[in-house]
Amino acid sequence: MTNQVSGTAAAAKQPAKRKKIASLDRRKARSGWLFVLPFVIGFVMLYIPIVYESLSYSFFNVDIIDGSVVKTFAGWEHYSDALFGETDFVQTLVTGLQEMAFDIPAILIFSLFVAVILNQKMIGRAAFRAIFFLPVVVSTGLMESIMTVSYAEGGEGMELGGAETATDKVASALALEELLMSVFEGLGFGVGLVTYIVEAVGSISTIINRSGVQILIFLASLQSISPAIYESCQIDGATSWETFWKITFPMVSPMILVNGVYTIIDSFTTDSNSVMKVIDDTYASGKMEVSAAMGWMYFLVVLLIVGIIAAVFSAYVFYQRRD
Amino acid sequence: MTQNMENKPQVKRETKNKIRVDFERTSLKERLKAKYGSAYFFKNTLWYIFRLLLLIGIAFVVLQPFYTMLINSFMAPEDFVDATVVKVPKHLSMGIYKAIITDLGYFKIFFSTLGLSLLTALLQTFTACLVGYGLAKFKFRGNKIVFFAVILTLVIPHGTLQSAIYHRFCYFDFFGILKFLSGGTHTGIEWLDGILSKIHILNLPNGINMLNTIMPLVVLSIFGLAFKNGLYIFLLRQFFRGVPDELEESAYLDGANTFRTFIQVILPLSVPMMITVFLFAFCWQWTDDFYIRLFFISPDKPPLMTYITKTIPFPSLQATYTQVTHSSGSYSQAMRFGCGMMACTPLIILYLFCQRHLVQGIERSGIIG
Repeated sequence: MTNQVSGTAAAAKQPAKRKKIASLDRRKARSGWLFVLPFVIGFVMLYIPIVYESLSYSFFNVDIIDGSVVKTFAGWEHYSDALFGETDFVQTLVTGLQEMAFDIPAILIFSLFVAVILNQKMIGRAAFRAIFFLPVVVSTGLMESIMTVSYAEGGEGMELGGAETATDKVASALALEELLMSVFEGLGFGVGLVTYIVEAVGSISTIINRSGVQILIFLASLQSISPAIYESCQIDGATSWETFWKITFPMVSPMILVNGVYTIIDSFTTDSNSVMKVIDDTYASGKMEVSAAMGWMYFLVVLLIVGIIAAVFSAYVFYQRRD
Repeated sequence: MTQNMENKPQVKRETKNKIRVDFERTSLKERLKAKYGSAYFFKNTLWYIFRLLLLIGIAFVVLQPFYTMLINSFMAPEDFVDATVVKVPKHLSMGIYKAIITDLGYFKIFFSTLGLSLLTALLQTFTACLVGYGLAKFKFRGNKIVFFAVILTLVIPHGTLQSAIYHRFCYFDFFGILKFLSGGTHTGIEWLDGILSKIHILNLPNGINMLNTIMPLVVLSIFGLAFKNGLYIFLLRQFFRGVPDELEESAYLDGANTFRTFIQVILPLSVPMMITVFLFAFCWQWTDDFYIRLFFISPDKPPLMTYITKTIPFPSLQATYTQVTHSSGSYSQAMRFGCGMMACTPLIILYLFCQRHLVQGIERSGIIG
């Protein structure tokens, strides 16, 4: 008897309970939507129209008559204009991509190296960290404009003020490059590698100033590696060189991927990006449609590169399995 | 040698009740030799020195432009022609700073930039927190799509969209609602157009012109579409995913709704992360050039830091410099460095306060692993 009663009671309870869980889920889903609402509204109401408009500018001739936009279809005209017109967009694009191919490995290697060093115990570590992340805060735009303009037009002032004139600097840099070349060639490295290293040394300040965020991310990921792993390595008698390649490198490899993608995206927005400069100039000279076409082509090319890099890298990335 | 190492107990002195026993110890010389003479110590010291030199070198590269700026802005005009002045000025002068503060109205510029940066940074941080939390903790249909949209806004460069952004805010309108209310909608169907043109609730057929105001920046910030906001949302989402669900569940049990849980339980936890995001947002707005150039098109520029390095306006000061140095370059150089110094210093001070939280914030974000 009692068994039966409790059985029916349980049976009667169960559907009600299930209904309640479903409604809780639904309620949670609803509040989830509420949380992301600001972004969704902005994305649908602002961003998609902006993207659509920008895309359409590249296919239409746009005229503004009495504040209303009048569009006439132009087909691929602007794209062909961008590719074969008087602006040397293709050339700049190729050199820009070459620069990117040069910068990204340099920035990644440098930032990983610095992060590893900053993670070790030493005097003044906090001070060094504070200095190294300074470019994250100040470098963008402002600093660049101050320094670059002063070197470009203030040549006169520099000659008067400092002992180091611009020509002196170039000369010393060239001498340094020659010295490095001879040293590395003497050691028997390939010419390609030598020129790469020499160029990296030449543009070291750019590399340092652009790798602040990357160092930050690498440092954070280094600190999240469990010290127990290093300890067991030490007990097994691994040298620090082996420990780096067998432990540190695989553990930070996901961050290498993240940093690589971040570096590529970041290079879109830097003022020193030569492709963006051409696009900006085209925009400023009134050829808005052509600049939009250029922008989209550049975006597609870079997206392709990001896709390839992410696909290739992710095959080698090691993810630590938790639990 | 080996005999010395053996510890033979030696009876030193014997009295009635006490025996003093000494063990023969390794001599100081031996000890020092063992510690400082080994290859291990040598290697470590070498590595330590190398590391320190390297770090100092890199720190020098980072700090050198700041130093140049500082020195050049304090140099008196006569130092610019003095060939013996290389890194340290002989005559200090506050002329440039005086001019910037009084003639250029530095404090006005400072406070207006501060207000703008604070406003946009706070809005961006708050929106990024909301969206990041929503994406991290709630499973709803479309979650992945929204996340993909966030990444998309990060990946498409704003340079590509600049003309479209400009037009959008020049004739700002939500899907033609304002146009509709002003009777400007055209459908191509005659009778419908006749009815629509009679609506005159507002008189804004072209939408609102938001240029030359801070409204575009505020709107972009509210909707989480401003510069690199996708990155902030991504960071915060990763962070919130690492917060254990039990915290929220216990808050729900105590009767708090989701929003209250978010404000009272989750936000206090995520202060380091929020400081990181706030610092990024603030500094990037402070030094932003792109959006300011895009949205402020009138010839009389707003008092913002972006323009400070590009204005060289004081004829009297310039005359002094030209007189002393016989060239115009040194004046513009000193002026730009002075302005640059004034623009950077607040950021550096803020950074020094928040710097502690930076690594902590990124580390706790759990984007690692």
